[in-house]
Amino acid sequence: MNPEPFLLLDRVIHEKGRLGIMSLLAAAPQLSFTEMRDTLGMTDGNITAHVRTLQEAGYISVTKAFQGGRPLTTYAITPAGQKAFASYINLLEQIVQQTKQK
Amino acid sequence: METNWASEHLQVIRTLMERSALYRRALAPIMIVSGAIGIAAAIVPCFVPIDSDRAFSMFWLGVSVVTMVTALLLVRRQALKDAEPFWSLPTRRVVEALLPAFFVGFVAAAACVVISGSSTGWLLAVAWIIAYGCALHAAAFFVQRGIKLFGWVFIGGGSILLLIGVVSPQLATIEVAHYLMGVFFGVLHLGYGIYLYFTEKRKHTA
Repeated sequence: MNPEPFLLLDRVIHEKGRLGIMSLLAAAPQLSFTEMRDTLGMTDGNITAHVRTLQEAGYISVTKAFQGGRPLTTYAITPAGQKAFASYINLLEQIVQQTKQK
Repeated sequence: METNWASEHLQVIRTLMERSALYRRALAPIMIVSGAIGIAAAIVPCFVPIDSDRAFSMFWLGVSVVTMVTALLLVRRQALKDAEPFWSLPTRRVVEALLPAFFVGFVAAAACVVISGSSTGWLLAVAWIIAYGCALHAAAFFVQRGIKLFGWVFIGGGSILLLIGVVSPQLATIEVAHYLMGVFFGVLHLGYGIYLYFTEKRKHTA
């Protein structure tokens, strides 16, 4: 089996929690902190840590605002994040194809 | 090397993307309350004469406004209970999907209020049924799949009624129109709401 696709997998996205966040944001223009936390069933601390990593990689953008006097944090995937996510999916598909050919 | 993980990863990604794109508010209470309002409104003409086309249009337009406001209040209550924003992205997408057909229904009602003529009340009931079916069908892209089928019941039912009205114009009366509104917007909603109530409960307890 060609190990190349596996080695090329983006380690920032490959972690389970961050992959979940990227998957959610890839399907929605923006999501709130609460929506992501409830959908993924993760703790506030976990979400915050993973979001920081993704933000530092330039894959997601964070917007802080106030709604009805309460702070509202929303997240969106950036063009760089979309590109990285698409590449990640392509590599996964290549790995699956290689497995089928074996 | 174990490579099943790649397929599993893709499956997880697909599930999460689907979940992210879906409107997750429980529809059962909205359907039950809308159905109850529809049935109650259909009973009113038995006691209060609403027998002109104009009165029919104004009465049911008022009922639809009350139902929509009630539905929005229910959504807001659920959002507050779950400590989530009311005007969330999924809510926006569903409302945007509903709007075009609702707009058509409103314009048709306004036209019937202004230009009251022969059988316009009955025609309005049929137009509302079809437009509402289209609205549900459009919203179904963001909610559970059953809503699409529910929309088709309205589209199909409304289309059949339209043909019946053409073939048998004697049936196209205001009285029949009130019954139609009661059946489609009352009984069907209540029935679907009760079905959702029990199936949603089962999902939550599973």
